[in-house]
Amino acid sequence: MSPLATNLKASLEAEAKQFHDVVDDNMEVSWPEFLRAWGELREIDILKRDDEGAYYIEKK
Amino acid sequence: MASKGFRSFLDDLDAAGELRRLTKPVDCRQLSALGEQADEATMFENIEGYPGWRVATALVSTRKRLAVAMGCPEKRIAFEFESRSAKPINPVTVETAPCQEVVMEGDAVDLTAIPLPLMHLFDGGPYISGTFAVSIDEDHGPNVGCYRLMYRTPRETGIDLVSPSDMRFYYQRALDKGKPLPIAIAVGVHPLDMLAASYKAPIDTSELALAGGLRGEPLEMVKCKTLDLEVPAGAELVLEGELLPIGWTADEGPFGEFSQISGDVKWNPIFRVNCITHRKDPIFYMLQMPWENDWLAAPVTEAAGLQALRVASVQPVDIRAPVGSCGYWSLIASIKKRPGEGKNAVAALLSVAEVKYVIVTDDDIDIHDPDELDWAIAFRVQADQDAIILKGARAKHIDPSVKSWLLGKGGLPTTAKLGIDATIPEGVPKILYRRIKNYGRDSIKLEDFE
Repeated sequence: MSPLATNLKASLEAEAKQFHDVVDDNMEVSWPEFLRAWGELREIDILKRDDEGAYYIEKK
Repeated sequence: MASKGFRSFLDDLDAAGELRRLTKPVDCRQLSALGEQADEATMFENIEGYPGWRVATALVSTRKRLAVAMGCPEKRIAFEFESRSAKPINPVTVETAPCQEVVMEGDAVDLTAIPLPLMHLFDGGPYISGTFAVSIDEDHGPNVGCYRLMYRTPRETGIDLVSPSDMRFYYQRALDKGKPLPIAIAVGVHPLDMLAASYKAPIDTSELALAGGLRGEPLEMVKCKTLDLEVPAGAELVLEGELLPIGWTADEGPFGEFSQISGDVKWNPIFRVNCITHRKDPIFYMLQMPWENDWLAAPVTEAAGLQALRVASVQPVDIRAPVGSCGYWSLIASIKKRPGEGKNAVAALLSVAEVKYVIVTDDDIDIHDPDELDWAIAFRVQADQDAIILKGARAKHIDPSVKSWLLGKGGLPTTAKLGIDATIPEGVPKILYRRIKNYGRDSIKLEDFE
C-alpha cells in the first residue's frame, strides 16, 4: 500500500468522513495521485458507508 | 456538409456567443464550481496534471443553448423533437474513428489518466456525469441510455442502475444467467445524441435511429476494440467493459441528482473497464448538474406529452416541462378543447413516465406565464371536480417523498400523481371569462402623448 493510501486508511479508521473532507485533507496531493491512493482502498474492499454517506474503515 | 458532432456543437456555441474559454490552469477539484458560475458554457483549456486534455461543461444548461443544438427557436423545441423523432434514420458503420486514435487495453487501462472532476460537496467520489451508454441483449438488440459513473479504482466505476431502464432490464437478464453485461460508454457526443439516449423509447425502438432523426443525418458508429458493440465514431472518449454479475451490492453515490438534491448512497453494480479509447487531443465532457440534465430532459418529457395527447385524440397547442420540476416531474399543456377533453388530457399526461403533476389549460392561456396559470387555476378549477389523483404509479428513487429507503436493495418505489384540469368547465358560459381590456388599447398610444 502506498504511503498516501496508508494515511487515508488511518484517517478513516479514526473517524467517518465525507469524501470531500478526505479531499480537503489532501489538497497538496495531485489529483491523479489522490485517486490512485483512493483506488487502493477500494481494491482491498475496506471502505464502508454510514447513514449519511460518509466513509469509514473498521479498525481491526 | 460536416457531420454533427461534439466539436461542431462547440463551434456553434462559439458562434452564438455562448462559449467561454478559460486558459489558466485549473485543478479537477475546481472545474465544477467554475463552470457553475459562468454565464456561458465553459471550455477549460488547461487542466493541471492532465496535459493534452481539455474539459467542456454546461453546454446545454439553458434552453437557449439547447435551441442552438436543435437549430430551432426555443418555443419550437418540443415540436421539432416530436417531428424529427417520427423520421428515424438508421446509423452507419465506419471503419476508422477519431474516438479510437489512442487505445489503452488490459493493464494499461487507468481511469486516473482521465480528468475526472469532483463535482458536488456530498458526492461519493469523482463522477463521469454525461454518458452515452451502449449495451446489447441477444433478444432485444442494442440499447442506449445515460448513466452516471462514480470512480472506484483505476479499472472500476460504480454505475447508477437503480431506476427502471432498458439497461437495468438487460443487466437483470444477464445476472439471471450469472453473466456480465458488456457495455460501452461514450463521452463527448452531440447534445442531440444525448437527447436520443435519454428518450424513454419502447425497448425495441432504436435510440440510434432516433439520434439520426434528430440530426437529420445518420449517426456514424464504429465497432469497439474489445466488444461486439458500436459507439459513436466522433466521441471524445470511450470506455469499454462489463457490468459485473454482482447485482445491486456496491455502494454508489451520493451524487448531485437532476432533482437538484444531493441524493443518498445507493447499492448498484460495478463497471469493470477493460479498454479506454480516446482522441489524440481529447475533450472531457462534464455534464453540469442539475441544469444540463434538466434541459436535456425537458424536450424528451414534452415530446412524450405531445405523443400521449395525440394518442388520446386531444389537440395540443403548447406544452412545457418546467425546469423547476427538473424538466421531468411535471407537464403543463394548453389544448384546443372539446367537451371532456380537459380530463382526457390530464389522464394522458399523467401516463407519461414519472410525471407526477399535470396542469391542462385552454389555448387562451399562455402556459409560460405563471400569473396566467394561477389565474386559470383560480377561476376555472373546482378541486372536487377538476383535481385527479392517481395512486400507486411508477416513481423514481430520487424523489424523497416516495420513501425509497424503505424498499431495500433493488426495490422499486411507487407514487401518487396529481392532475389539474384548468380548462373552462363544461356548462360555464365563456363570456364569464371575458378579460379586462382597456378602452382604446389598440389605437391610443402612449408615445403620442410624451
